[in-house]
Amino acid sequence: MSDIPISGGPHLAGSHPQEAIPHGPPPANRSSRLDAATLGMFLFIASEAMLFGAFFTAYFFVRVVNPTATETWPPAPFEFPVFVAGVNTAILVTSSFTIHWATQAIKRNDRNGLRAGLVVTILLGSAFLLTQAIEYAHVGFNTGDGAFASVFFGLTGLHGAHVFVGLSLLTIAAVRAFRGHFSAEHHHGVEIPGIYWHFVDVMWIIVFFAVYVL
Amino acid sequence: MTSTTEPHSQHGLRPGDPPPRRRGIFMRPGYLRASWVTPLFFLIGMYIVVALRALAGWDPVYDWEYIVLIAGMVTAPIGFLLGMGVFDYWLYWISGRPTVADDHASHGAYSWKDYFKVNTDHKVIGIQYLVTTFFFFVAGGFLAMLFRAELAEPGMQFFDTQTFNGLVSAHATLMIFVFIIPAFAGLANFAVPLMLGAPDMAFPRLNALSFWMLPVAGALFLASFLAPGGAFATGWTSYAPLASEQPFGQVFFNMGVQWAGASSIATALNFLVTIITMRAPGMTFWRMPLLVWANFTTSLLVVIATPFIAGSQFFVMFDRVMHTSFFTPDNGGYVLGYQHIFWFYSHPAVYIMVLPGFGIISEVISVFSRKPIFGYRLMAVSLIGILVLAFSVWAHHMFVAGMADWLRIPMMISTLLIAVPTGIKVFSWLATLWEGKLHLSTPMLFALGFISTFVIGGLSGVYVASVPIDIHASDTYFVVAHIHYVLFGGSVFTIFAGLYYWFPKMTGRMFDERLGKLHFWLTFVTFNLTFFPMHWLGLDGMPRRVADYAGTYGALNMVVSIGSFVLGASVVIFAYNIVVSWARGPVAESNPWKAMTIEWQVSSPPPVFNFDEIPQVVGGPYEYGVPGARHAVLRGGALQEAHA
Ligand code: HEM
Ligand SMILES: [Cu+2]
Repeated sequence: MSDIPISGGPHLAGSHPQEAIPHGPPPANRSSRLDAATLGMFLFIASEAMLFGAFFTAYFFVRVVNPTATETWPPAPFEFPVFVAGVNTAILVTSSFTIHWATQAIKRNDRNGLRAGLVVTILLGSAFLLTQAIEYAHVGFNTGDGAFASVFFGLTGLHGAHVFVGLSLLTIAAVRAFRGHFSAEHHHGVEIPGIYWHFVDVMWIIVFFAVYVL
Repeated sequence: MTSTTEPHSQHGLRPGDPPPRRRGIFMRPGYLRASWVTPLFFLIGMYIVVALRALAGWDPVYDWEYIVLIAGMVTAPIGFLLGMGVFDYWLYWISGRPTVADDHASHGAYSWKDYFKVNTDHKVIGIQYLVTTFFFFVAGGFLAMLFRAELAEPGMQFFDTQTFNGLVSAHATLMIFVFIIPAFAGLANFAVPLMLGAPDMAFPRLNALSFWMLPVAGALFLASFLAPGGAFATGWTSYAPLASEQPFGQVFFNMGVQWAGASSIATALNFLVTIITMRAPGMTFWRMPLLVWANFTTSLLVVIATPFIAGSQFFVMFDRVMHTSFFTPDNGGYVLGYQHIFWFYSHPAVYIMVLPGFGIISEVISVFSRKPIFGYRLMAVSLIGILVLAFSVWAHHMFVAGMADWLRIPMMISTLLIAVPTGIKVFSWLATLWEGKLHLSTPMLFALGFISTFVIGGLSGVYVASVPIDIHASDTYFVVAHIHYVLFGGSVFTIFAGLYYWFPKMTGRMFDERLGKLHFWLTFVTFNLTFFPMHWLGLDGMPRRVADYAGTYGALNMVVSIGSFVLGASVVIFAYNIVVSWARGPVAESNPWKAMTIEWQVSSPPPVFNFDEIPQVVGGPYEYGVPGARHAVLRGGALQEAHA
């Protein structure tokens, strides 16, 4: 890249000259066995978990702390579609296994396994979102129908948004997989979205129990 | 997320490949591209809203509140970032096309124009942060002078009450979210990788994204003045349910905070990964400069706490636009919930606003007293102590809010406990000064000024932490005095100290010491003139956030207003000094302060990639006056003698 000046430029004209650098940056010292991108993903997940924490706090206030909280949950005559949500739980849990299968496949350099795993996971995730959208349409109440509905749409909606983000990451991984990227040595681009996907899955189980079961 | 250390895909451009086609000027990343992508994305957002409303059969289809919210505050800013080129690399990567692995094309600044482009060099980003935040500092200060004009005399002079509240709210919001917090991120961006002996941050492109989200947040806050009904007027705390019933300007606050919060979470994550994975060989945690420690703890606070303010603002906005009832009592909502969730972020946030400053002060005090920091390890441990305790005190903001009675005493005790690690730090600075060879140059003056004002702020904090006193003092000017002693006398003084301290390193030039001292003394005196009388006003019962007041408070308020105008004028001296010195100041040596930390061992300004070879760290960072002590060894010459 010859059009890039070789030396460190002075920040404003007239500063004194710099020592010439014949190359790019020196490779950084690796002061931890943790891989940077994976650590970044874990920290991001910690932050995301706290965002869910804020929503669960709202749930806790509405359902437990509030003196006017109702006896039944949800308050009569409303009902949550527990069965549909249960089916959805099964779908999402399965998708955790398929993404695991995909990452295991690429570790053995099995690219077809990787592609198949990614496609199945994406299909399962999309099925989950579609089911949830249909559930919203038929649930029989709206966001304005009281605090229980706020919490219901808040938690499931926040989770749905995360499924969407996870799906986007997986789609990126799939595009790259089909373009021939990734190998037994280089598969960060699958592994890291995979970690996120597992997080989305675990979060759903908590949401499912808090909202529908308890 | 792609780290500098990650091996790039085997499909990157190879030396023999033809160079990528040069794109037309409207397609190249930059303002020209942003000027058409931003409106395009506004239209996309608008038609998403319109299409959804048409499909659902809602009337009116063109609902401008929704359109401004989605198109103006979400998609158009994304279009702006896209146009500027923040996402270019990622888009190539996503589409699986060849990416020029780490071409460093956007690294380093070669002319002043480069500071206005997307850049991945942590030093450039640091300066971009500082200049941008300084702009918001001036804007916020200007708003303060407007409402101080109104408050100079009793009675209503210039503004109606809603406008007055808008000015106060926008002042605090600008200062907190787009000045203090990101200014620290800017200083740390510049200094931390150098101090660690790292060539850059762990995720340089994420770093650029964090910076560019900031102008979006600031622009939203300022744009709220154009909204029908005026700017958001519920204070920087924006309590619900009031906030969900305000004119539309409120939504600018809700969404601006989301952009600022996303920016600070991304930076914090970047700092954490950099500090954990990219320290130079020999740089153990117990050899890290305290500035690095401070940013490590701050970043942890940011990553853990900031999602709570994001949540609280989402709820308020949902209550408004989707008619949910998170905080509306008549429909099963829980009113106090907002304050709990908000303060669970915003108390830790006050430490986010001061811990990096503690780090700066530790650097400055040690260097300018020519002595090792007293109790280095305890200094680091007390940061961790503050970090942990910070999450256990939020309800001290709610003593008079009608929360559960049993929460009061535990919250009071944990709040008073925080004074212990804070006190440790103050005593350690004093002990470092003790019998040191003090060099009273401008950064040191600001550090000493900081200690004196911060102690006053800490003491008034202990007062309001005691429930009986707080019942009397809450919501009065006493709290305003407290905030400003810790945030202006505290945080802002440390930012000035840091700016003067690293100015030679950032620009390669020296500032004018005489003007610096003048700036300090003028700031210090008028700061106290402005904010000290507020203690009396508050104890006398003058309520905060009210446009008018009883005639008895008139004299002191006049003093406060005059003080605040001179305080505002003192910033002009600072700006003049910085601008003129940057352009024409005398050339700075690489280590004008004779400091030991690594950033001072490279040229001023540092080379684009910081080091030819990663330095080897061999000792602690503050061994001033210890014969033969070394912190780091750089290739091509060992550390200069840094002893007094
Ligand atoms: C010894 C340490 C401190 C103690 C004990 C303390 C205690 C308190 C208490 C009890 C309040 C609530 C007063 C009320 O609203 O009635 C308060 C308010 C506040 N404190 Fe502190 N504080 C301390 C240090 C700090 C620091 C270091 C900062 C920031 C750098 C800070 C920033 C604030 C702010 C911004 C508010 C006002 C929030 C509002 O707008 O209502 N405090 N403090
Ligand atoms: Cu607090």
